[in-house]
Amino acid sequence: MKFKILISLFITLTGITILLDACKKADKTNNSAGFNPTYLKFIIPAGWPQPATDIFKANPLTEEGFQLGRKLFYDGRLSKDGNFPCASCHQQFAAFATYDHQFSHGFDNALSVRNAPPIFNLAWMKEMHWDGGINHIEVQPLAPITNKIEMAETIGNVLKKLSIDSAYKRMFTAAFGDNMVNSQRMLKAISQFMGSIQSFNSKYDQVKRGAASFSVSEEMGYATFKAKCNTCHTEPLFTDYSFRNNGLTLDPFLLDKGRMGITNNPADSLKFKVPSLRNVAYTFPYMHDGRRFSLSQVIEHYRTGIAINQPTLDPLLKNRINITNQQKVDLVEFLRTLTDDVLLKDKRLAQPQ
Amino acid sequence: MKTNLHYFLFTIASIILFASCQKSIEAKTGMVKFNFRNMINSTPMVLDAATYTNPFGETYTISRFKYYVSNVRLTGTGTTAIENESYHLVDESIPGSLSFSFETDENTFSGISFLLGVDSTRNVSGAQTGALDPLNDMFWTWNSGYIMAKVEGTSPQSNQVGKKIEYHIGGFSGVNNTLKTINLAFPSGKNLIITEGKTSNISLEADFNKWWQTPNDIKITNLPVCTTPGVQAKQVADNYSKMFTITDVANN
Repeated sequence: MKFKILISLFITLTGITILLDACKKADKTNNSAGFNPTYLKFIIPAGWPQPATDIFKANPLTEEGFQLGRKLFYDGRLSKDGNFPCASCHQQFAAFATYDHQFSHGFDNALSVRNAPPIFNLAWMKEMHWDGGINHIEVQPLAPITNKIEMAETIGNVLKKLSIDSAYKRMFTAAFGDNMVNSQRMLKAISQFMGSIQSFNSKYDQVKRGAASFSVSEEMGYATFKAKCNTCHTEPLFTDYSFRNNGLTLDPFLLDKGRMGITNNPADSLKFKVPSLRNVAYTFPYMHDGRRFSLSQVIEHYRTGIAINQPTLDPLLKNRINITNQQKVDLVEFLRTLTDDVLLKDKRLAQPQ
Repeated sequence: MKTNLHYFLFTIASIILFASCQKSIEAKTGMVKFNFRNMINSTPMVLDAATYTNPFGETYTISRFKYYVSNVRLTGTGTTAIENESYHLVDESIPGSLSFSFETDENTFSGISFLLGVDSTRNVSGAQTGALDPLNDMFWTWNSGYIMAKVEGTSPQSNQVGKKIEYHIGGFSGVNNTLKTINLAFPSGKNLIITEGKTSNISLEADFNKWWQTPNDIKITNLPVCTTPGVQAKQVADNYSKMFTITDVANN
């Protein structure tokens, strides 16, 4: 008898569920008939922390959205004169930073005022820009597109240029269900591409997975790194995303006070976001204004160059960092193991043909 | 007993089903329409053409005047009606933006409440559309966040290029928060009554003259431009939070 009660309970509940579902469905407008994108799974590497926010929650990652974003990322039409796609400053072979440039080139022979940061693992980065002024990956592209010394275009003009291109109309339809081109869709598509650029296949990662081993020098460098650098450049992302004054003097021409420009708080003067050290061998020059050209110079800054008289200097640096010559050599060897050849050469992230 | 249980389950199921489908079938709804009029002192604002004088004797013209009205609610004794996806950009240069309406259940209300600006959640939720589209020129691209209210114009007292005055007021968090909740009761004896199939109207005026004074003196000589979150933006927001009055409630 108990069995029969269970069955009748089951049938009743199933009935309720189906009918309630029917009620719900009747409310929905069915305007996306035939819209059937290929959903992609975002990989969180084993042992990594969960991203601070789920950047794909309100922007489901799809192959079609990714490919649209990829096309947009490499398209010069996002800039005023057609010469400055996102990729002009964010080059794949430089881990999506600008290779060998202290400052990047922008519209009308302009130079940027900060060093272009690399793009990878953005799902873990809550605030973009050296000063953290951008609070969401989706609104990030608005800054370079509209900046007069970068891409120098208006969002309205970009949308006009995209709307008259039949290839884009097809791709917007594939990604979003119809061919409407608007700023939200454009930004979400670019975010799908940018958010999909990931770096977790360096030699360091392989060593961590037991698939490779460090040389003696790399091993020694890793020990030094863990003892002297890891507090700010925290593994596995090699940054804690905090804002700190690392003891660079104020540039008298740029007068860039960093985080304070966003918060208006004098305590944030000269603070900049701690950059990830992943792919650091390819993202030179270094620092927010690219004033250090080699890893050796950067380490030299931390052991002898820190301006220790600054009121907002990070307390961890008030005695500079004690690094011997041998440790310096080994540290550079270790930092080179953070180069991710998969990222640098992944054809899926390259300019679409 | 078996049969009893069957009946019991069936009855429960029926009640649940009836209750869930009933609402959409039986709720009676009407419309409420908000009508904004932008004023300076007691006269309707005229863009570009008219010259105005602020409480400090400084003269100015206005070329743009825009502000966000969001999270709109109708309030009454023990009842609140909330507009879904409630984001409106009132723009003096676009007549159609000066009014908006939404559907709500039949009820009687004694006042309204809304946010002057865009709530902090939408300031940190990525790319938005509609009234919140960055195309509307109310989003800061270098320091993410919405401009809650904006006025631009000229004044002989301005020391800026082209004698410009520009107040782009924003900042949504912490010490820089400029969000203002506006609570307004209808004039005494007037209630808003939502009736099935009909539209009831609420008329509001926004007096720009309130931006200059009380509690904070904003003089063009001292502050011709304010386009970043901070102390001064907060002072302007304190002033403009008092710019709205309800002039009429009309039930049809």
